Amino acid sequence: MGELLNIFIKSAFIENLALSYFLGMCSYLAVSKTVKTAFGLGLAVIFVLGITMPINWVINNYLLSETGLFQTDLTFLRLILFIAVIASMVQLVEMVVEKFSPSLYNSLGIFLPLITVNCAILGGSLFMVSKEYNFMESVSFGLGGGFGWFLAIIAIAAIREKIKYSQVPPALRGLGMAFMLTGLMGLAFMSLMGIDPSAF
Amino acid sequence: MHSTNQIIRFVLIMTSLVALVLSLMYTGLKGTHELNEAIYAKKAILAAVQNKLGIDASSLPVEEVQEIFDSSIKQEVYDMKGNLLTPAQVEASGYKGGLAENVDINKEAKKPESERILPMYKFKDGDNEFTILSVQGKGLWDVIWGNIALEKDMKTIAGVDFDHKGETPGLGAEIKDNKAWKKQFVGKSIYDAAGNFTGVAVIKGGAKEPTWQVDGISGATITADGVGEMLKRGLNYYGPVLDKMKKS
Amino acid sequence: MAQAQVAAKQSSIGFGKAERKLLTDPLDSNNPVTVQVLGICSALAVTTGMKNALVMAIAVVFVTMFSNMITSALRNSIPKAVRMIVQLIIIATLVTIVELTLKAVAFDSYKQLSVFIGLIITNCIVMGRLEAFAMANGPYKSMLDGIGNGVGYGIILLMVAFVRELFGKGELFGAKIIGNTPEYLLDTTTTWGLGWYANNNLMVLFPSAMFVIGAIIWAHRAWNPSLVDVS
Repeated sequence: MGELLNIFIKSAFIENLALSYFLGMCSYLAVSKTVKTAFGLGLAVIFVLGITMPINWVINNYLLSETGLFQTDLTFLRLILFIAVIASMVQLVEMVVEKFSPSLYNSLGIFLPLITVNCAILGGSLFMVSKEYNFMESVSFGLGGGFGWFLAIIAIAAIREKIKYSQVPPALRGLGMAFMLTGLMGLAFMSLMGIDPSAF
Repeated sequence: MHSTNQIIRFVLIMTSLVALVLSLMYTGLKGTHELNEAIYAKKAILAAVQNKLGIDASSLPVEEVQEIFDSSIKQEVYDMKGNLLTPAQVEASGYKGGLAENVDINKEAKKPESERILPMYKFKDGDNEFTILSVQGKGLWDVIWGNIALEKDMKTIAGVDFDHKGETPGLGAEIKDNKAWKKQFVGKSIYDAAGNFTGVAVIKGGAKEPTWQVDGISGATITADGVGEMLKRGLNYYGPVLDKMKKS
Repeated sequence: MAQAQVAAKQSSIGFGKAERKLLTDPLDSNNPVTVQVLGICSALAVTTGMKNALVMAIAVVFVTMFSNMITSALRNSIPKAVRMIVQLIIIATLVTIVELTLKAVAFDSYKQLSVFIGLIITNCIVMGRLEAFAMANGPYKSMLDGIGNGVGYGIILLMVAFVRELFGKGELFGAKIIGNTPEYLLDTTTTWGLGWYANNNLMVLFPSAMFVIGAIIWAHRAWNPSLVDVS
């Protein structure tokens, strides 16, 4: 249990997908103009990461690996299968949410298609493979990574809402400033690197 | 509008086409991939002695790497008690080929300590005689590993090469990229003046014992400490073998 | 009748003003990175050195070009319901081809780029161009659009890598340009002409890519004021 919490904290704060690896930057920059939309996208990312990570773990370990179902090394199909799982999961989640909770669909729905091409999702799965996590660890990594991404996008959205009232040079306004801010936030997050999560 | 049948047909044709193309490519390139993988590992071993030999391991052509390995390197594998293992015994531990180059040091680190096997490369070319040992440890983010070359006296370091899985570029990754830092290790002894095993300690803020300590890397204390820990523990594993070799 | 002729002219394979525009627009006023804000993730991670950035740029041009072409050729037969997955599978196949090829011919780059080759799949440039252009235009034009966008992306990548490698390591393509050689740290007599420059380690770290891209956007918009964000 402690190990799982350790991975959660590590993936959420120390190895933050958005601010340490800069994954999912396209949607991170495009949807962070207001806190409200950022909140919706952030939730959707936690949701999808939490679901796809364990599925991809099962696929990687029981279908693609040499000790899996086919007894041959099929890792060259990894990218295709991972992205297919992510795309179909996103569509499935979209349909299920639409059917059972229209209110949630209204707040999350428009972001779901965006998530398929969010590199944080595929990146998370690829990191999971390279870090050789077991099943429960990959669930924890997925949820932690999603939570970290959620925190990062909320933070940048809040700053961007405030900075609208500042005197930024016209050519730097908007996008340029968002890049600078993310860089500064990334620097700030680097200071968390030395933390030993097993101390919690 | 497409009917369900059409959709299914389209998807089936497409997936089989994709799978066919990729499997053909994969099987076609598999040999090259395996060769590249092996050469990459061999270059890392040669990198530990590259300064002594005056070569640049990373830019050596494939044939030359093979040539050096065939003519001047003798590969041996030992168990934790210092007994030489036969290729069949190494294969029994799960490494096809049974040579030292087939041993995956990161896989070994997951076994209980007493069951591990240790690869060793004996380099001999004229006057140049080195023993190259492989060590594995933990950096800040993930595993780090390296090859350490010892001089003929079995205690002075002739050269080192480190690699890592995911250290931060510019900070922890300096253990691999910073040639000057790696050069510090050359000439250090893994025993102190009294003959006790010490490894090589990495000291934050500057080395005090010039014979067996080196400076740390600013901004990468944990990774640099990891290197020190790796050397101390990893080289100690070879203790029984080194003792035997010194006696003979 | 006249319209049909124009249409026929446009769909024929030639290289006129319209085709040139497809190639040059993404280099400036419609740049995928600085204007469309697509494909940032990989732009940040692989720009510590010119060599990696160049390999990545070539890989992306290859993928955008062929994915645009293939999708455009299939655009009338792809069933709407599975459109997105079909597009992703086309991209993923091309990326896997790139990965297998790199592993065979440029193993060092393959090792260094690691997961970021796979992440070309989710590089929004590829998907974005498929949706915005290839689904509505012919294969030839789509191919040109793919090349244009891939190159526009590659240029930014190389610009960022240039700044980061030169000021972070004092090197370009691994060759020493400014600052002292690493040997200087151990032996202060081995100095040379440009030894006064001390490497700025910040430039090697991830966040610096953000600052460099931010500065490029700033310069780009100051030079071309029609792009300034009014909101």
